[in-house]
Formats: sequence, C-alpha cells, structure tokens
Amino acid sequence: MSNAAMEGSPARRSAARRWTAPLVWRLLPLTPFTLILAAWVAYWAIAQPSAETLPAVQDVAGAMWDLAVKGELAVHVLASLLRLLLGVALGVTTGVIGGFIVGLNRPIAEFLNPLIVFFNAISGIVWLPLVIGWLGIGTALAVFLIWNTVFFIVFQNTVLGVQLVPKVYEQGVEALGGGRWETIRSVILPGASPYILTGLRSGLGFGWRALIAAELVGATTGLGQMIFGATEYHRSDIIIGGCLIIGLIAIAMDRWLLLPIEQRTVRRWGLAFDARSEE
Amino acid sequence: MPDDMAKSTQNKIVVSGFRHVFETDDGPVQATDRVDLSIRAGEFVTLVGPSGCGKTTLLKALAGFIRPTEGSILCDGATVLGPGRDRGVVFQELAILPWRTVRRNIGHGLEIARVPRAAREATVGRLIELTGLAGFEERYPHELSGGMRQRVAVARTWAADPDVILMDEPFAAVDAMTRLTLQEELVRLCGATGKTVFFITHSVDEAVFLADRVLVMTRRPGRIKAAIDVPGRAAGRDWESFKIDSAMQAIVEQVLRLVREERGATAPAASAAVTK
Ligand SMILES: Nc1ncnc2c1ncn2[C@@H]1O[C@H](COP(=O)(O)OP(=O)(O)O)[C@@H](O)[C@H]1O
Ligand SMILES: [Mg+2]
Repeated sequence: MSNAAMEGSPARRSAARRWTAPLVWRLLPLTPFTLILAAWVAYWAIAQPSAETLPAVQDVAGAMWDLAVKGELAVHVLASLLRLLLGVALGVTTGVIGGFIVGLNRPIAEFLNPLIVFFNAISGIVWLPLVIGWLGIGTALAVFLIWNTVFFIVFQNTVLGVQLVPKVYEQGVEALGGGRWETIRSVILPGASPYILTGLRSGLGFGWRALIAAELVGATTGLGQMIFGATEYHRSDIIIGGCLIIGLIAIAMDRWLLLPIEQRTVRRWGLAFDARSEE
Repeated sequence: MPDDMAKSTQNKIVVSGFRHVFETDDGPVQATDRVDLSIRAGEFVTLVGPSGCGKTTLLKALAGFIRPTEGSILCDGATVLGPGRDRGVVFQELAILPWRTVRRNIGHGLEIARVPRAAREATVGRLIELTGLAGFEERYPHELSGGMRQRVAVARTWAADPDVILMDEPFAAVDAMTRLTLQEELVRLCGATGKTVFFITHSVDEAVFLADRVLVMTRRPGRIKAAIDVPGRAAGRDWESFKIDSAMQAIVEQVLRLVREERGATAPAASAAVTK
C-alpha cells in the first residue's frame, strides 16, 4: 500500500513539474532581480539619497540611453567583448591542452606541480604594473590578464576531469583494438567534458573580473574604462549602468553559449552534475 | 567449416603457473596462486569461485591489462603482452560509453578497425536485431534499463568479432527474470558463432547452464581446484528443460558442493584480507 503510494508520488510530481516548467521555471529566476529593483526604487523614494551614493533607476536608464545613442556604449561593449573572447579562447585552449598533458602523465604532473602552484598564487592584478611595461595598455594587456585567470581555472578542472575518467572505459576501448589516440579521443575527452565545462563556466566569470580590472587602468576603451572614467565625474549612474550591462551580458552568454553546449553534451549523456536529481 | 573438428581440439588459451601479487600501500596482496588452465577453440568455459578469490584478476590477465607476477599466458601460442581486438571483454562494470548512442557503442570496434560505413551499419543492425535493441539505436546508455545496457555491452564486444570473448559477471547486476532471458540469448548467440568464451560468474546455475566446462576456484589466493565437463551445449539449452534434466541437476549439485567447501572453511586471516 504505502509502497505503491511512494512510487506514485514522485512520478506525479515530475509530471506536474513538466507541465508547469515553461511558465514558472523560466520566470522564477527573475524574482530576485525584481525584488532588488523594487527595493532600490523604494529606498530611493523613501530615503532620497544623493545621486552620488545611489542614483535613481530612471537616471541609470537615461545615462545608458544617452551613451547608447551617442554610440559610445557600443564601442565600449565591443572592445570589452573582443578582449574577453580572445582571452577566454586562449585560456580555454591552453588550459585544456595543458590539462590533458598533465592529467595523462603522472611524472609530468609531478614535475610541473610546484611551478603551477607558484604562478597560480601570484596570478591576477599583481601582474598589472609589470605587464603594462611589457605590452603597453590596451587589448594585449587585457587579453594577457584574462588568459592568466582563465588558464588556471580551466587547467585545474581539466586535470581533475581527465584523472577521474573511469579506467574501465579506457580498457573497454583498448579491448576493441583502440590505441592511445583512440582512447584520448573517444574516452578521455568526452569523459572529462563535465569538468572542462565547469572550468569554462567559472573561467568566464573570472574572465570578466580580470577584464574589468585590466580596463580600469590599462585601456582607453571598454566597460571597465567607462566605469573608471565615470568615477572621476562622480557619475554613479554610469557606474551602476556599466555593472548592469556586464551582468546582463554574462547572463546572456551563460544562456546562449554555455547552456546549449551543455545540452548537446553532458546533459544529453546523463553526465551533468545536477542530473542526479532527475534520475 | 570443414576444419571445425580439428580446431576444437586445439588450445586457444593456455595459462600456466599464473600467480599474481598486487603491491598495495598495506603490502603485497596475493590474488592468485599458480593457476593452470587451457581453453580449446570454440569452447565455452565458465569460472566460479568465492568473491575475492582472483577471478577478475585472471580475466584481466587474459585480456592483457595485468602482467603476471609469475607464470605465462598464451593465446594462439603467443604470449599475451597487452589488450587486443582478438580478445573481446565484457566488463563487470559494462564500460559502455555514456556519450555514445547504442548504435555508436556497438559499432565502435568496427569504427576503430576502419570497417567501411555500409558494412559497419549492416553488422550493427544485425546485432541490434539479435539482442532485441531495435528501436533504441539512437538512445544513450543512461536512457536504458540495466538489462538493455547489458545487451549493448555484449553486442559491442560481439560486433568487433574477436576470436575470444572474456566476460566478467556480466549478468550480475540485472534482475532475475532478465538474467534468464539474457542467458538463453547468450547460448543461442554462441551456438551461432562458435566463439571461444571465458565467463566468470558467482552463480553455480548460470555456470553450468552456459558451459561446456565449469572451472571451480579456491578461495584467495585462487587456484583451479576442479574442472567439470557439461555435455550437450551444441544441442542448445533452455531453462525449462535444464531445470528438469536430472543429469544437469546432478552436475549443479556437484559444483555447488565444490564451491561450498571454499565458502565454509574460510580461514580468519584470509577473510580479513578479502576487501573486494
Ligand atoms: N588493483 C588492485 N590492487 C590491489 N589489490 C587488488 C586489486 N585488484 C584486486 N585486488 C585484490 O585481489 C584479490 C582478488 O581480486 P579479484 O580478482 O577482483 O577477485 P574476484 O573477481 O574473484 O572477486 C582481492 O583480495 C582484491 O582485493
Ligand atoms: Mg570480480
């Protein structure tokens, strides 16, 4: 009796969830944003802070609109995006290749480990003064700083992913006559992909941080420079607007770049880290 | 197949004095102790023995994943130096790839052997029919039941057309009803192809039902303690008649007794060391 009831309820619950999924699940993530916006509007209406400490919602929208109409906003966004994508592409490529080399070779891993720990610890903004001297300010500088951040994240996730692929998958392919290259191509690469994608996801996030940091001082265009320039004129509306744009682009990339990749790969294969709850 | 008779008397696999010791952090663990056995071409040999007695170790050595600490393993007269497509393996953990569809898992061996697409699809299609996977060709393993995954694992190994097939408790993880079906399917598949099969199980019924010959292993460190011939596999077997065949049931009893002896008197030292 109770057994049957217990078997029935999860099925019914998941059926109900499937039915409401398009409506509720798509809109639900907007709630916290709505709440923050509402709090902002309410606070502004009640406390009436000076525009320097917190601008009004409509001022932020207006400032962004002005910049957009003048064409400045597009220049900043495009400059930032170019740097970000270059840096991330470089970081992901080198991180995945390096991660494979190290993940597949224990002696090499042990040989390189201290070097990696060393440079990982001093990665980040510490490089800035030195690198300005080497690369000047502009795209190369930002790309270097982004690469320096993304590489370590993707690299470490890839190493972990490669090492965690079950040995028996490799043996299965070897018993079918597959050589080293075949096992790497058809076992290690897809097997490590959940970790590589996790690395890519956090890499993108930290890539943005590195980008803005680099642009604050080492660029003449870009969203970071737009924000930094606004601080000189106490234009908090532009500062907040810039942050909003960064966040929105990040969400868009997550939805339209990362999610489709995941849906075609790890989710399709039942390997996504949150797939357990679906089973 | 005029030389079938000659072939069936030939030894496909010869293991002599196979002793294996694993070096672990807690010191050496001796898995097997001088295993001697030979398997004729086209023969179906099953191996039973208590858990942890070294069955998988022996199979992995036959497959070429483990180098013997001592002794030799020959396949077709040549020392086994590594895995190869002449010896297919169905692993205890199945090892079918989650990122390949049923079709692409089964065709993987042929893909590796660079068999042209049309020929590959023909073989895969035939095996899909034979194993009752029709309609599931484009599914991924996580979308299948345990029994179906099992069939994919067997079909994948079969498709590569190895001379020897090594199977490690392949039906242990499926439910009892499915297991009976799979066993009958395997009997039919083997009858049709005349492969040399080495099959590990901990089920005595299964061991006798499938085999030309049942090998019984001692507890760890494992040795082969007995070999029992089971006549009449060529005529085909099904569970219904197997269960009422008194000759067969006598063999089951005999094997059961041999296995029980090993379970009963486990020395305390040995039982403490068995971890898997
Ligand atoms: N890779 C390994 N490292 C150390 N010990 C192992 C390893 N594989 C198996 N063993 C040990 O060797 C013994 C035999 O294992 P195995 O061949 O897997 O037994 P069976 O398949 O008969 O259950 C067990 O005691 C097991 O713990
Ligand atoms: Mg085993």
